[in-house]
Amino acid sequence: MAKARQIVKRRKAVTNIRKITKTMQLIATARYQQAYQRATATQPYTRKITQLVEELSAAAEGQIHHELLEDNPDAPKDLLLVLTSNRGLCGGYNASILRKAMTHLGDHTDKATELHVVGKKGNAYFRFMRRTVDRAITNIDDRPRFEQVEPIATELMSRYKAGELRSVYVAFMRFISTGRQIPEVMRLLPLSRSEEKATGAPVVAAAHAAAQYDFSPEPAELLKVLLPQTVKVRLYQCFTDAAVSEQVARMVAMKAATDAAGDMIKLLSRQFNRARQSQITMELLDIVGCAEALK
Amino acid sequence: MVATAQNTGKITQVIGSTLDAEFAENRLPRIYNALQCKVDRKVGTRVMQETLTCEVASHLGGGRVRAVVLGSTDGLQRGVDIVDTGSPVKVPVGKETLGRVFNLVGAPIDGRGDVGAKDHRPIHHEPAPFAELTPKTEQLVTGIKVIDLLAPFVRGGKTGLFGGAGLGKTVIIQEMIARIAREHSGYSVFAGVGERTREGNDLWLEMQEAEFKTAEGQVKKVIEHTAMVFGQMNEPPGARLRVALSALTMAEYFRDESGADTMLFIDNIFRFSQAGSEVSALLGRMPSAVGYQPTLSTEMGELQERITSTSRGAVTSVQAVYVPADDLTDPAPATAFTHLDAFIVLARSISEKGIYPAIDPLASSSRILDAQYIGDRHYNCAKRVQQILQRYRDLQDIIAILGVDELSEEDKLLVARARKIERFFSQPFYVAETFTGFPGNYTQLEDCIRSFEEICDGKHDALPEQAFMYVGSVEEAVEKAKKLQA
Repeated sequence: MAKARQIVKRRKAVTNIRKITKTMQLIATARYQQAYQRATATQPYTRKITQLVEELSAAAEGQIHHELLEDNPDAPKDLLLVLTSNRGLCGGYNASILRKAMTHLGDHTDKATELHVVGKKGNAYFRFMRRTVDRAITNIDDRPRFEQVEPIATELMSRYKAGELRSVYVAFMRFISTGRQIPEVMRLLPLSRSEEKATGAPVVAAAHAAAQYDFSPEPAELLKVLLPQTVKVRLYQCFTDAAVSEQVARMVAMKAATDAAGDMIKLLSRQFNRARQSQITMELLDIVGCAEALK
Repeated sequence: MVATAQNTGKITQVIGSTLDAEFAENRLPRIYNALQCKVDRKVGTRVMQETLTCEVASHLGGGRVRAVVLGSTDGLQRGVDIVDTGSPVKVPVGKETLGRVFNLVGAPIDGRGDVGAKDHRPIHHEPAPFAELTPKTEQLVTGIKVIDLLAPFVRGGKTGLFGGAGLGKTVIIQEMIARIAREHSGYSVFAGVGERTREGNDLWLEMQEAEFKTAEGQVKKVIEHTAMVFGQMNEPPGARLRVALSALTMAEYFRDESGADTMLFIDNIFRFSQAGSEVSALLGRMPSAVGYQPTLSTEMGELQERITSTSRGAVTSVQAVYVPADDLTDPAPATAFTHLDAFIVLARSISEKGIYPAIDPLASSSRILDAQYIGDRHYNCAKRVQQILQRYRDLQDIIAILGVDELSEEDKLLVARARKIERFFSQPFYVAETFTGFPGNYTQLEDCIRSFEEICDGKHDALPEQAFMYVGSVEEAVEKAKKLQA
């Protein structure tokens, strides 16, 4: 009976795990809906402001020079901001972002890269890989607020303007639809037009570029306000995308886990029944055999 | 009481493969004495007379004895005369037996005529005396990585191969013959107990072709150093019960007289227990747990205690043990377990992954897996490998439910290494060349330990898992990885 009892114990453990994963799946579903709304709510604004800046800079081509548009070829280092989650149980979400980030780091070795990591999982990973994290940010939860993101963007911009950084990249999970999220490394700074197209950020259609505007105040004046705003909004969009992708990943992972646990419970039940039955058969045989022998 | 004149009795009852015979009350044949009677057998139209041998198992009282028949009881009749030979079954021993094939009563079955042995020995006798035993602790290197690392064979010791149906016990035992017997200078004895007759025939033919070099540089056929005894599946239980003893008796003679290292291969010791259980009820014993004979461990003990190394010579034995329904707690394999120096457990879960030999690295072990005998380096390496595999096994439920991504980074790395180690345990066999398409591989112990150390250290984390399948040392895995990428 030892074997049967062991199986019962394992089945109990798996049943408990399933309860947890099932609950987590439900919670993730609820959170996903909130996160989805937040992410999609900011999208049109992000797109519009990016478009506006594009058109402005196109119109004012050659007349304006803004620090955020200029390259900084002589700066001593690059910077990579990696957005990961604070919690696990979300399948391959963190692993795929980190893989992307690692390939990026591997490709950009000509200058030192400063590493900023958001989320406990990413920090734990880099600690394990023995890669120094220059700044760890773990106070942003799965509901990022603009007030939390803004200071990060401001600091990055001021350092960029000061000529400390050659470029700033963000590695995060881009949310495309519920069925599709892709890990992406996006260039945040410098904000040049060609780069935006290359990274797949909202691209302005050619027809729009032709639209004529009357600027008041002057484009240069406008850009001074708008450019930093764009950077902030785009970074915020990364955070909201990451948050919704995380919830989707968790939802899917927990669904799969619940199913796998269900299968395992079925298998263990079958094994248990078989073990119990063979135990009974064996005992019956022993009894019958002995009774027969004693006749 | 030695029978000088012929002591003749009459058969009074025949039940299955046992019979009762009546003798004069004052001239009862002793327990284990061989009885012989003539039996008429129809072969086509001709009638042949055969001698049937039986072995006295119990005295029923009143001059009646019950005996186990060591052959088929077809055509046996009540009232037939039966003769007490005055001693247990005797088999020929000595150099004349080499190159020959016998049945359990020592009659040659290879169709090459009389053996002409000078010496015969009874198959029953006492095990070697207590004071003469010399337990050995030297490792016998087989060139099979998983065995050498985790369950090292003992030179002059006993090794069991446990496995359910179709996991490759016979293949491993034949591989052992190919690996050890070929390089081994002493004599070998092979006992086929209740296994397929075809396999026995294959082995016989193969040994006639196989050659090896002696220490003097002569090329000799393996069969010239080997005696074989068969009592296969087709034989009645009495034959299967005693054939191991016959082979053992021949091996004991080589040990005692020649002093050389002797190899004894038995395939399959479970059939011995099974045959015992078949005759047990007929002998009037009450069945015990799972229907086995109540004397299960006594019978096993009597056989196993005789397979031993003494101050005069060593017997190294490799025994296959069938495990019914893959249940190691079954009484038959469980009683065999206790007698062994090293046990290799074959697992279905591993053969399902296509990894052969399907040896379970955590269930297999050896008495000499101890730093004192095999050295610190080997021991530490084996322990590390076991720890990694044990951790992987513990994590398997989590991986099954949550997926590998949920593990911590340390555990992910460990799982990757464990999977590589698992695959690295596979190895091409000489006897399976025609099936696998890979030439057989012999890995030196030194290479084997170094390879596992390197994998544990993570030197080969970059190689794909597939590269570790069916290679020898880790350098071959590196080569294979290059080929896979090309």
